[in-house]
Amino acid sequence: MSAPVPPPPAPRSDQALYVGLAGIATTGFGLMFSPLKMVAFAWLVGVMFWTAITIGMLLLVLIHHIFDASWSTIIRRQYEHWLSAFKWLALLFLPLLVLSWMPRHSGLVWSWMDPATPLPGGHGTVGTDVLYVKKSAFLNLNLFTIATIAFFAVWVFLSCKLRKHSFAQDADGDAVWTLKNRWWAAAGIPLAALSLTFASILWVKSLEYHWFSTMYGVWFFSNCVRGALSMGVLMMLWLYHRGDYAGLLNRNHLHSIGQLVFAFTVFWGYVSFSQYFLIWNANIPEETFWYNLREQGDWYWVGMLILFGHFFVPFLYLLSYKHKVVHAWIRPIVIWVLALIFVDICYNILPAIKDARGDPLPFLSLTLLWSLTAVIGVGGICVWAYLRSFPTTKLIPIRDPRIAECLVYHESSHE
Amino acid sequence: MSAHPDSAAVGAPAVLAEVKPAVLPRPVLVANNRNYTWITDKICSLIEGPTPTWWWVCFIVAIFVASFTIAGLTYLVGTGVGVWGHRSPVNWAWDIVNFVFWIGIGHAGTLISAILCLLRQKWRTSINRAAEAMTIFAVACAGLFPLFHVGRVWMAWYLFPISNANAIWQNFRSPLEWDVFAVSTYGTVSVCFWYVGLIPDLAVLRDRFTLAGHNLRAWLYGLFAMGWRGSNRHWRNYEMAYLILAGISTPLVLSVHTIVSFDFAVSLLPGWHTTIFPPYFVAGAIFSGFGMVLTLMLPLRAIYHLEDLITQYHIDNICKITLATGTMVGYAYAMEFFIAWYGSNPYEGFAFINRAFGNYAWAYWIMITCNVITPQFFWFKAVRQNTTLVWVLSIFVNVGMWFERFVIIVTSLARDFLPSSWGYYSPSIVEIFTFFGTFGVFSTLFLLFIRFLPIMPMAEIKAVTQQADPHGGGDRH
Repeated sequence: MSAPVPPPPAPRSDQALYVGLAGIATTGFGLMFSPLKMVAFAWLVGVMFWTAITIGMLLLVLIHHIFDASWSTIIRRQYEHWLSAFKWLALLFLPLLVLSWMPRHSGLVWSWMDPATPLPGGHGTVGTDVLYVKKSAFLNLNLFTIATIAFFAVWVFLSCKLRKHSFAQDADGDAVWTLKNRWWAAAGIPLAALSLTFASILWVKSLEYHWFSTMYGVWFFSNCVRGALSMGVLMMLWLYHRGDYAGLLNRNHLHSIGQLVFAFTVFWGYVSFSQYFLIWNANIPEETFWYNLREQGDWYWVGMLILFGHFFVPFLYLLSYKHKVVHAWIRPIVIWVLALIFVDICYNILPAIKDARGDPLPFLSLTLLWSLTAVIGVGGICVWAYLRSFPTTKLIPIRDPRIAECLVYHESSHE
Repeated sequence: MSAHPDSAAVGAPAVLAEVKPAVLPRPVLVANNRNYTWITDKICSLIEGPTPTWWWVCFIVAIFVASFTIAGLTYLVGTGVGVWGHRSPVNWAWDIVNFVFWIGIGHAGTLISAILCLLRQKWRTSINRAAEAMTIFAVACAGLFPLFHVGRVWMAWYLFPISNANAIWQNFRSPLEWDVFAVSTYGTVSVCFWYVGLIPDLAVLRDRFTLAGHNLRAWLYGLFAMGWRGSNRHWRNYEMAYLILAGISTPLVLSVHTIVSFDFAVSLLPGWHTTIFPPYFVAGAIFSGFGMVLTLMLPLRAIYHLEDLITQYHIDNICKITLATGTMVGYAYAMEFFIAWYGSNPYEGFAFINRAFGNYAWAYWIMITCNVITPQFFWFKAVRQNTTLVWVLSIFVNVGMWFERFVIIVTSLARDFLPSSWGYYSPSIVEIFTFFGTFGVFSTLFLLFIRFLPIMPMAEIKAVTQQADPHGGGDRH
């Protein structure tokens, strides 16, 4: 019998921190070349991208507990580590909140925050816009601030509870921690659903506050989970090739998570198509303008990229069993999905920057560059938070009641 | 502790030596450690035994109730669609309400058979057969309403694109035309799925009737068992067919109620045109379907003493799915109301205020009470363990989901854009009787099902017993 293989040394977190700081600094450097408004929008893209993925991970942990699942125990611990990023995301959102409270810059990102913001086409100002006045009970800075704090409070609170209980179980092996997490999952799912819905409405949809869609929260949810699953695959592969997961991860784990990436690709397509189709078909100007704006200039091609790249490509690609289990095949597609989530978020945020005629500024611009650096910056901080948490516990939840099932997971077991 | 063989390319990692799972056994799916013989005998005895008196009583009552539908539809065909209470502005009412209600009920069967199968939820095995049967019977009831609402029912085949030679061109831009394809496909696939699942069990009944010397019954079951011998090859083909049908059925569950939601959402009518309708309708359909599963299975469990096969764990899970989907429906109600205000369209805003406080407010609050408040009781274990209470709550779910469709359809039509044409719709006695009768149609079919076909898949249940688990049902390693 061969001796147990010791784990590889813990990964260094400082490199991720440096990458994150460099990304943030580069985005800040953008102020020398672009107006504050562009950089602020780019920063919103960066924060939204990683917040969406982190919310998705929170949801997956909650769903894991509520289903009493076994196979996903192997990746759950990594998600728990990543959830430590929420407090940093709250901090990284802070510049946008501070900007909103600065009299000179209020209304820079969310135009409704400043009643003096002129409406496109010289149709008065936000303060005189009857549509804004009607919504002002919801769209106001005080509520925005309180809601933002509340959203992060909910996510940080739930994350802390889930992490604490899971980590405590490693020490004493008491099943009560699993039951506690199951209870918090039941309570947490409605809280997470409501908070992510209203976060998407306040932070993204209200950028063009005339527009409305009841589907918006569901659209955001689908991207959150797709992103979290894709990151989960990347974390699995990284840990396997580093040596941590060697002997733990099997192809059935990858197949199951790959199936979920596929399922949520279909779900995203279903939700996005339904929203687009019902608005297109009704052809009401109050709703269609949002898509009309996104058919101008190069945004049309971005829309096409999302249609084909965010749905058809992963859909067709992930039909194959091989593409879900062979590392060299699944890795590129999840990276592709993450890239398209970035494009989708850009598609929802950036056309809100308009020129004097009310047309959106092009996609291919410096704002896109700062959005990319913001994604790198915020992402670096999230990875740093993950890597900081990583060595503080066991690699897998060794005392979880389902860990044994998970490690011998084979799909015919129907678990 | 050892990991899966797939991962054994390298030496066992040190962390495996530390793996020591906490003890939290999974609930058993067949209680009292029942063996294979007991399962076969139990399920077959429901068919082989003498017809119980209660069955005859229920059957006669069901036939009597079904006659209301037959009488109502005969009167309609003989007189005209005007015998229903539709008047401008409410030109759509109970016909489409009842259609959507019954179609929704059918969804639980497909969800349990297909989606829970793909999600590898073993507990589905005790309830999937009856739920699949429920799907088919519910689709049959649903189809009656649009079929007869076309007026000249003998011309209904014009809905299919086979009549172009007659210069009849279907309007493919109408979601009602899409319904024709969606529902007929759904019905066909559901029947196939149900039938494929039945084949091994029909063969069991064939063999048992042969041994008992009931040659006619043996021949009939044998005919439908299609020569099943239970060979390895048969099982392999069966499993593959079942999986493929599950794969096909899963998008169908979504597509059918999505298209049903399009019947309304593609219009411009306030209260109908909203983007969340597709997933909201699907969630509502599953909610109502699970309500009906509880309504049907709990009495069956009590009458046939099936507590070892439909355990408290099964009831818990169904209640939790009902709670989850009911809460999703509540989310959709809230989002509709919120966006009606946020969207600042006065007509949309009025439609929702009118729902809550207008002349149909009674229907709205019945809907909210039954669909949003009632399932919240399922948070409590004590409620889930009280089967009588669960059954009563499931009735509320059924009632609430009928009212949901009524609220969506009638309140929006009764008071639309032009106040001068507002009206108040009340159903005619013919409509009421026709709908009432469909419960008889459904019950008749369901009673025939439980009398002549195995209500649970024997082979599938055996596969989830502790004996079938190579790890002995313990910690599985």
